Formats: sequence, C-alpha cells, structure tokens
Amino acid sequence: MRVDREIGYILHTRNYRETSLIVEVFARRHGRLGLIAKGAKRQKSGMVGILNSFHPLLLSWSGRGELATLTNAESVSAYDRLAGDTLYCAFYLNELLMRLLHRHDAHETLFDSYQEALATLRTQGAGEPVLRIFEKRLLQELGYALVLDHDVERAQSIDPEALYQYVPERGPIQANGKQRHGIEVHGTSLLDLDREELENPRSRRETKRLMRAVLARHLGDKPLQSRLLLQQVFKLRADDLSPE
Amino acid sequence: MIEGLKQALCKLPGVGPRTAQRMAFHLLERDREGARHIAEALTSALQNITNCTRCNNFSEQELCPICASARRKAEQLCVVESPADLEAIEKAGVYQGMYFVLMGRLSPLDGVGPDDLRLEQLEQRLAEGGVQELILATNLTVEGEATAHYIGELAQKRGVEVTRIAQGVPVGGELEYIDRNTLAHAISGRHKL
Repeated sequence: MRVDREIGYILHTRNYRETSLIVEVFARRHGRLGLIAKGAKRQKSGMVGILNSFHPLLLSWSGRGELATLTNAESVSAYDRLAGDTLYCAFYLNELLMRLLHRHDAHETLFDSYQEALATLRTQGAGEPVLRIFEKRLLQELGYALVLDHDVERAQSIDPEALYQYVPERGPIQANGKQRHGIEVHGTSLLDLDREELENPRSRRETKRLMRAVLARHLGDKPLQSRLLLQQVFKLRADDLSPE
Repeated sequence: MIEGLKQALCKLPGVGPRTAQRMAFHLLERDREGARHIAEALTSALQNITNCTRCNNFSEQELCPICASARRKAEQLCVVESPADLEAIEKAGVYQGMYFVLMGRLSPLDGVGPDDLRLEQLEQRLAEGGVQELILATNLTVEGEATAHYIGELAQKRGVEVTRIAQGVPVGGELEYIDRNTLAHAISGRHKL
C-alpha cells in the first residue's frame, strides 16, 4: 500500500538502529500508526529538522503490516515552536493519544480537536480549559462520552445550583445527602464542561477532578508521566529557596 | 553456550539475533584472539569505569580529567544529555568550561521524568555557588527543549544566568538544501554583523 502526502502529526519518536527512527504518527484519515523512518537521523535524509512533534506534516509511507516505511515528510506550515508550560501541556495531549488510541482507527473529528488544542496552546498559552475540552472530546470520540446534561437517575436536566455525585460508569446523580461512590461536582461545572466554557474557577477545579477520575478508568494503574511532570514543575515554582 | 553468547551479543544496540549469530561465529571461528581481547576489555571497563562524582561522565577516577583540571573555567557549566554529547562538544575544541551530564532527557512518553535525571546533583552543584553561566546544550528535539526549559527554570531560581546553544545553518550549508524549520530558526535567531 502506498499513501501519499497525508496530513498528520508525530506523537512520539524512538531511536531505531544507528540512524533510523520509529515514528508514532496521528494521521487525519488513518488514525494512529507506527512508521519506520529509515536513515532519518542522517543529515542528508532531509528529515532531521522536520520530524518534530506538534507540527502538521504531509507524510507519505508505503508497506503493510504493523510498521510501514515512511518515505517522505514535508512541513506544511512555518515552524512555530512550543516552549515551557505549553510544551508540557502538548506532551500531555500526545501521551493521552498514545495511551488511548488503537493503531489504524481513524478519528478525523478528534484529529481536528487535537489541532485546535495545539493552536489554542500556541495563542493563549498553557491553561486547564484546553486540556479539559480535549479530554472530553477524546472520551466522546472513543465512545465513552460523559453525560453532562441530565441526571441519569431522575432523567431531569442538570440544575446549575444543585450538587451532584458523578458516578464514572454512569453519570451525574443529584447528591441529596446520600453517600455514593462518585465525584462531587456542581451543576454549573457539568454545564460549563458541556458548553466547553470553563472560565469559572470552581468549574475548572471540579471538572479537573472529574476528568481525572473518569480517565483513570481507561488509563489503568500507570500514571500519566506528563501530568507528573506538570505537577513537578508547579512544585519547583512553589518551593521556597530563600534560605535561613 | 553458543546460544548464551548470541543472547549476550543481542544486548548491544542495533544487534538482532542474525547479526549476533554472525558475530559469535566470526569470533569463534576466525578471531579467538580478538574475542579474548573484547572479553578482557569489557571486564576491565566494568571494574574500573564509574561515573565522575561531579559531572556523571564516565571516569576511571572519582573525578574525571575535566572536573579535576585546574585549567577549565569553573564558572561555566554546560548541561548535556549524554557522554556522547560531551564528547562531541569536546571535539569541537572551543569550550573551556565544565560539564554536567544528565544521562537522559525529560521524555514523558518514555516514562522519564525529572526524578530519573540527576537533577538533585545539579541543584546541589548550583547551590554550592561558583557557577555564573549555565549553558543548556540538550538536543534540539522536543524532549531536549522540555529538558532545557525545566533546568533553565531551576537555575534561574538560583540566580544563575542561563543560555541555550544557538541553532541554525550548519557550517558550509547551502540555504537551498536546508529544511524550512532549521531555516526558520536561523532567521529568527539572526545576529548583528
């Protein structure tokens, strides 16, 4: 099979042999796939400065089976480097995709959301809303969409003022003082996430806890390394160095 | 026993079962003397080479020759990912300062976080004082950039001046053949003539 100039992003690269790379790609029409970039680390290959994550590329590959061979890669836009916190956040997006997408399943809508999230990181800098919205859309695309607009037990619309228990495998249930194994979250937070408008600090806080619990069910026990990295960055900033 | 040898050779980077077999047969059939030499060199290296306690580079002594040298500038500290990177800069022959080898780079997708690099040791080195400039010479990959940012923040917190190696057109390079990303860096990082 030959595929010519498909738009895609690099999620991750690994060294392979002396000068080659195994590139994990997220292509719009092909989903996640693994490609071998032969001799990509050689200066003459012309790929050295091209095969970077977080930049749209036109990728050509050929071959079948688990690992096809990357035959060409072209940059489609001017190079716009991510730095600092936005870079850490972008790693987080890639790690989610690497952990949750299966190879060879196309996710065009998700691809567009990914592209949009990277653009938001570039224009607005690092921030929690962009990550929450991406997580929400990712779950939706994978068939685990969150229920955010109605109480799953009473079949009523979400009351912004009410307090809910979000049971990960089911959805929000109005609290009523009853103990459940759910995440406590206000109606406004659920509606804000549904509308994808997370300006309210409480909504941010609550949806962060909510998404973490829901994602944990799909990610298993292994923690997300990029999340740990972000936590360590914040800790580094908070640590007081002023001595004595 | 031959199986064992093949499996052992497979531990080398880039060596698969076929190559390992070829190597094993070659050594046993044609070059027993060479094989003995390899065995001795490996044993002796394992016994005598450790990491320099100051910079982490491979060393036979507690301090590597660079860290032990009085002629190197102690106020400059260059952070690199691996001993191979250090070697490359040394070969360039212009740098007179000290090094710190991280033995890796931040790479969340490979499961490598700040705790897996020797950052505490680096922090301690900065806390001792004496370092005026920290040169970040991690690779120009996204992982290298993330590492540079993290360490940059760590050093700035201690009031150490942080610089990053320049990037752009290679010596003898013709613009026509350079990829657009590198060229974009070269243009944005231009300097006054």
